[in-house]
Amino acid sequence: MCMGSKLGYSFGAVCLALLLVNRASAEENGKWLDVQFPHDSPVLLVAFNMSPTTVTVRRSSMVLDLHEALVLRNVGSKPICGLTLRVEAQDLTPYGKGSVIKPSLFVLPGEEFPVKVDMQLLRPISATKSESAMVQVTLDCALFSDLKAYGPDKLNSRRTLMVYELEARRDRQYLARLLDSGQLPELREELNFGNQDLIPRQLGLELLRGPGIPALREQALAVNPMPFPKAPVQPLSGAAQVAGNEVRAPRVEVRNTSKMRVASVAMGWIVRDDRGTDFVAGAVTSPVVIGPVQTTSISESGTLRFSRSTGQPMVIDRLMAFVNDVQFADGSLWIPSRADIDAATQDPELRRELATSPEEQRLARIYLRDGTAGLKKELKRVSLSN
Amino acid sequence: MNAQSSPHPALEILSLYSTGDLPFFLRLRTESHVKECAACELQVLSIRAAKAELRREAGAQILTGFEAIADWQALEGDMLGNIRVGVAAARCIEKVGRTRKWTSRFAWAAGMTALFMAGWFTRVPLEDNRKILTALRRAIGLDQPPFYGTILRSSPDGITVRTQGATLTILHPQTAVISMSSPHSVTARYIDDDSGQVTITNVYGQ
Repeated sequence: MCMGSKLGYSFGAVCLALLLVNRASAEENGKWLDVQFPHDSPVLLVAFNMSPTTVTVRRSSMVLDLHEALVLRNVGSKPICGLTLRVEAQDLTPYGKGSVIKPSLFVLPGEEFPVKVDMQLLRPISATKSESAMVQVTLDCALFSDLKAYGPDKLNSRRTLMVYELEARRDRQYLARLLDSGQLPELREELNFGNQDLIPRQLGLELLRGPGIPALREQALAVNPMPFPKAPVQPLSGAAQVAGNEVRAPRVEVRNTSKMRVASVAMGWIVRDDRGTDFVAGAVTSPVVIGPVQTTSISESGTLRFSRSTGQPMVIDRLMAFVNDVQFADGSLWIPSRADIDAATQDPELRRELATSPEEQRLARIYLRDGTAGLKKELKRVSLSN
Repeated sequence: MNAQSSPHPALEILSLYSTGDLPFFLRLRTESHVKECAACELQVLSIRAAKAELRREAGAQILTGFEAIADWQALEGDMLGNIRVGVAAARCIEKVGRTRKWTSRFAWAAGMTALFMAGWFTRVPLEDNRKILTALRRAIGLDQPPFYGTILRSSPDGITVRTQGATLTILHPQTAVISMSSPHSVTARYIDDDSGQVTITNVYGQ
């Protein structure tokens, strides 16, 4: 067979493959996304809008852009204050998945609320197809105002929603106290972080897990503990391997200073770059059982790379660790109070970042838009919901 | 003699008589004349002699042509030599044709490759070309091999998990605050402009 004929056959095969892909995409039009709730779910789907959604072919992959707007209704008997939807793509199961969390909801029975999910799925064209939808959205957990929950909780969402709700109640009480006592300058200063110029410092993160991580020249870096005075678990010391903008195997020694058995600890991490700027990198929850007055070590696997929001690698100069929250064996949770945060650091920017809960972010937006009157109205509405 | 009194037969009749080709009655009449006419008898003898000479000469000419091809061994040698020469010539011609065929194929393939490369580098973005070159450098050992585990990565537009050959990105506005939320997940937090509600997206990779 001459070369021209071979190329001709190859071109024909590619054209046929593309035609099949387009046809398959058209056939699967209704199988891209599936939203399902259990029959006894406290929330039900009222409306579903999936536009604009596009499917394109990029070389040997298919790119599915999904933009769904769900309208859910609280069909239960209790106010819902938080919700987690689990997003799973069959091509990534079981290793990759996503979730959309709506904290600070305050949805009364019978009320409706919107949830938007914007995602992009890139899958090989040659990937096997199955009967189920490419992307499935299901309820993982719904948290009620009495801190009871419903749902399979496969993503440990109940704990996350409870932390958000406790932080929200803490910050609402704090702001209500400022309002009630007429401390308007303090209130203005507290909520100014909602300005675009004062939004929290942004980070870029990359988390690598699995074999084959390229080895760089590492050096040991001490982890400096940042204790909250009344935390039931205190960080003592720690270390990590650092190479440029990479942190590997961070480890912290902690001590349970309470008389209760601890079931899990969320360690917060602060990263200082070579310019002396501190960034709150987040809090990582570890299921670690610590008896009263016991000391243990909390370590993480994997490699974490830090960069600025522009994508430029960030050189790590210092690492700090604090206890973000603690869950006891009886299920109760501890979070730092405002006084704990104020006492932990003298840096106003860092203090502000530590205190920036989702609820305070939401209330700051209302304050900037509607002023003191709007904030008072919202705090009253939420207190009635609870 | 009586033959003097009868007219002489024509020359054609005498020629046919000499070869025995006349009809029976004409042959008897011609024979009685020839026996009595010395001139006609001489004519018949002349014809027969000429005819015999012609036959002899014809036989000599045939023998000479036959003798010319009578050396079979020489003829076989010549034929085999000619065949060998023909085969060798055919091989030479075939080799020349094959070389020409491969040269033309190579030229065609090189031309198509050049056309493809020109089209590729003018149509494909530079960033993609860089990725291809990086992959080539990795293939020949100039760069570190790629990481094949699970990768979670934040960008200004979303958080991406890449595993098992597929990629899932949950998108967020560029104002979102990025942080870790577990050893296996990265979080983005933002306020939805339409509803004013806080939305937190998590992407997990294990």
